Amino acid sequence: MRSLGNFFGRLRRTIRNEPRDLEFAAEVKAHIDSLAERYRRQGMTEREAEEAARRQFGNTVSLEENRRAMLTFPSIDGLRSDLIFAVRMLRKNPAFAVAVTLTLALGIAANSAIFSLCNAVLFKPLPYRDPDRIVVLWETLRDGKPITVAPANYFDWRNTNRSFDDVAAVRSTSGFTLASQAESVRLTGAAVSANFFSLLGIRFALGRGFLPKEDQPGLNHAAILSYRTWEQEFGGDKDTIGKTIRLSDDIYKIVGVLPADFQFATNAADFQARSQIDVWAPLPINPEKISRGTHPLRVIARLKPGVDLAQAQAELNVLGANLARMYPADNKDKGILAVPIARQVTSNVRVALQALAVAVGLVLLIACANVANLLLSRAVARQREIAVRLALGATRSRLAQQLVTESLLLAALGGIAGLGLSALTIRAISRLLPADLSRAAGVALDARVLGFTAAISLLAGILFGLGPLFGTRNGSPGESLKQTNRLAGGGPSALRSALAVSQIAIAMILLTGAALMAKSFWALIHVAPGFRTESILTARLSLPQSRYSDNRKIGAFERQVLQDLRNRPGVQSAGFATYLPLSGSDNGWAFFIEGRPPLPVGTFDFAKYRPVSEGYFETLGIPLLRGRLFTSADVADSPWVVVINESMARQFWGWKNPIGDRLHFDGPTLRTVIGVVGDVRHEGLEGEPSSEMYMPVDQAANLENGPTIVVRTALDTSAAAATVREAVSAVDRQFPVDRIDTMDELLSRSVAQPRFRTMILMAVSILALVMASIGIYGVISYLTAQRTREFGIRLSLGATPGAVLRLVLGRAASLIAVGVCLGLGGAVIVARLIATLLFQTPALDRLAFAAASAVLIAVAFAASYVPARRAMRADPMLALRDE
Amino acid sequence: MSKGNAAADKKSEILQGTLDLMVLKTLQAMGPLHGFGIARRLEQLSEEILRLNEGTVYTSLLRLQQQGWIESEWGASENNRKARFYSITKSGLKQLAKETENWERISGVIGRVLRVGARTS
Repeated sequence: MRSLGNFFGRLRRTIRNEPRDLEFAAEVKAHIDSLAERYRRQGMTEREAEEAARRQFGNTVSLEENRRAMLTFPSIDGLRSDLIFAVRMLRKNPAFAVAVTLTLALGIAANSAIFSLCNAVLFKPLPYRDPDRIVVLWETLRDGKPITVAPANYFDWRNTNRSFDDVAAVRSTSGFTLASQAESVRLTGAAVSANFFSLLGIRFALGRGFLPKEDQPGLNHAAILSYRTWEQEFGGDKDTIGKTIRLSDDIYKIVGVLPADFQFATNAADFQARSQIDVWAPLPINPEKISRGTHPLRVIARLKPGVDLAQAQAELNVLGANLARMYPADNKDKGILAVPIARQVTSNVRVALQALAVAVGLVLLIACANVANLLLSRAVARQREIAVRLALGATRSRLAQQLVTESLLLAALGGIAGLGLSALTIRAISRLLPADLSRAAGVALDARVLGFTAAISLLAGILFGLGPLFGTRNGSPGESLKQTNRLAGGGPSALRSALAVSQIAIAMILLTGAALMAKSFWALIHVAPGFRTESILTARLSLPQSRYSDNRKIGAFERQVLQDLRNRPGVQSAGFATYLPLSGSDNGWAFFIEGRPPLPVGTFDFAKYRPVSEGYFETLGIPLLRGRLFTSADVADSPWVVVINESMARQFWGWKNPIGDRLHFDGPTLRTVIGVVGDVRHEGLEGEPSSEMYMPVDQAANLENGPTIVVRTALDTSAAAATVREAVSAVDRQFPVDRIDTMDELLSRSVAQPRFRTMILMAVSILALVMASIGIYGVISYLTAQRTREFGIRLSLGATPGAVLRLVLGRAASLIAVGVCLGLGGAVIVARLIATLLFQTPALDRLAFAAASAVLIAVAFAASYVPARRAMRADPMLALRDE
Repeated sequence: MSKGNAAADKKSEILQGTLDLMVLKTLQAMGPLHGFGIARRLEQLSEEILRLNEGTVYTSLLRLQQQGWIESEWGASENNRKARFYSITKSGLKQLAKETENWERISGVIGRVLRVGARTS
């Protein structure tokens, strides 16, 4: 206890002086006075008595020092005086302080901004209980590509595995229409097995999760709301629990409200706010009537305690092989794959974020090199001060402590400024964030980011603080004292050159990376999507199943709406789609071509399935290559027809003409191929177009009551949306219209992630370029300043200014050349690492490498030219007089 | 700014130990005393030790206080000045007994060793 008390007492006194120090001084004074009084009584004079007393008492200063050393922590106490000294030094030289702080702040801000991004997207645990025990289960095709799961397989996994505590399934639904008094609202929905929320370990904000029997067919009329839906549609009313609501013609009882931070996603794109689920309903699966042929489910599972991922995967391999043997028709060559949910969610952004993190790390290195350079210049100027202190008996370690304190103070200043800057950067970044990088809760400056910033500031401080130490280490104090400032420091200039070279090398790496990304992005956005994107408005309708119970009615409705729309001003053309390109929705269907030999069991031809209305191709400008397009005469009672795309024609007909051939789906109805249209990049610009078949919505294979309208119009978005609403309500009453977007917006959103990483990397590499230029500028100015006398003499002896200029630029050129060569080596390595992020751009793209080198060499040379010009104008007399 | 005084510290180690012991003994024998009083008492007993460096008494007092062997409070001195009075604590008494025994044993041993050395030389 006592030692603890001492400890805190020492700490307290280390931080501030105390009244007890004054008391002690009084005690000492009283003692000396008493001694003096005694001597006076012995007959000494006042002065003699005082002196004798002092002599007898001894050195009060060293007594006080000993006392302080006993009462405080001397090294910290020294730190305090060092800090005060450091602050004083900085105040004396504010330009230096500002330059260092700014340089560091830029480097640190870039790092904490990207770190906060990584923190939010990669590091922050998902909002579930023990999220690292949760895995996503996929079926895999022969080539290992994961696909979603067939219900029958899900049942078998769930019932036969020994590795998991629980296995749950989720299926996306087309959503719900919530009928309320004023107008009906469109809500997104998902259906889940009853154990879904208990598997995730969710604590409900209100109410409960699903009961085990609630996913039985017929008992599935419970619903769980997202927190946002509860607040927006139910006013956050606690009595919402137990209420019954009408969702898309079915009655549900609300049993629970999810916590506000709940999110669920099996890939990062699902985290965009718009695809978060509003209403969760039970997923009724009748084990008697389930299929292995369709794959609508996403499956999650929780590992049993003590079972690791590898063991679970081993068991799944066996299980998958068994199922493939038992059900060859559907499961031949299929396997099962378990992926930890955190890895699943971040899979498509991890590499990009890692690349960005490395990039900003390199920028911080450049910043440190710059600061080290600045400190070196100052260390040279301070060499006399340091020599004096060494001569007066300061130990080297004490001096090192002083220098490190100063560096750390600078680092702290840089860190604080950087934090402010990164708060701004983060705000800017979160506006630019592509959907699949924004884990809704978002990017913020939290404790972890603060800790990280503090850590890198400290690291940076140590890193650049070391520079001057190396620079001033050698040389005895006497020598330094004899020298004048101007001539001091041959050693540091080599160190400076090394710093400049490494800065250029790092900048080279970053510039090359940015050039590759930019070229790749350029290639990406210049991919022709295969359809018109300008002046197209899209909006999704949801037709109530009660009145639109078959495709015939839906087709009729669509034709009426189109008829109405086409007469409205501003509308150039319009059509309906079911699966809109770039919207993320998609479907495919197996088909058989009439007259072809039967395929082996378990295999079938497959193409993307697209019910559309007449006018769709014309509106999106998808070109007709052969045959004809749909007209308003292609309805349920007319002959059944399909239009196929170019890829499908090539894949299944080769050079033969497909027009007039017939195909059928799982039913017997034959559909005649009437036309071939151009390919469309449905999933995004990066993907290759796949085989697609279009059919009139009347003749679709499924009930398609969530069509999307596409309108080509000169009107602005809100006017066009209003026009669509009017046309719809002119035909039937007002239906919910949601997901109103222009096609340009959809296109831009589809390249948001590559655009984001390209922009950030370019910003980062420009920062690097500027800093590296400052670095080489500093080194060349230093070298010229050092040789001003020499240049003066050369000029006075008849050298031409041009010759001096060439001399300096030659030096700069050699530094730049070495830096660029080293950087090219690093760039080759980095380019290979980011190859997966590049689109139609080889990792060692010559143009990108050449452009990066050219820009770097030009800018670095320009930065050296300014001080070189100065050298050329050196006045010989001035230089000589200075001596 | 701290100095490289590690060597000096080493040299005075024994002195420090004996000075602390003497201060402790003084407080035990005389009751509460101020620094000046302790110095006078030590002067009486041995003029040599404190001749020129009475300040060390305060370092010793601080050390003893940090160990919890003595405590101090403000009071009035004989000539009515304000002064800090030091007194020995219970654990200080225990420590004194222990140290005294220790000292006697060691000085006995050293004395014997020195005597033996004298005979053989």
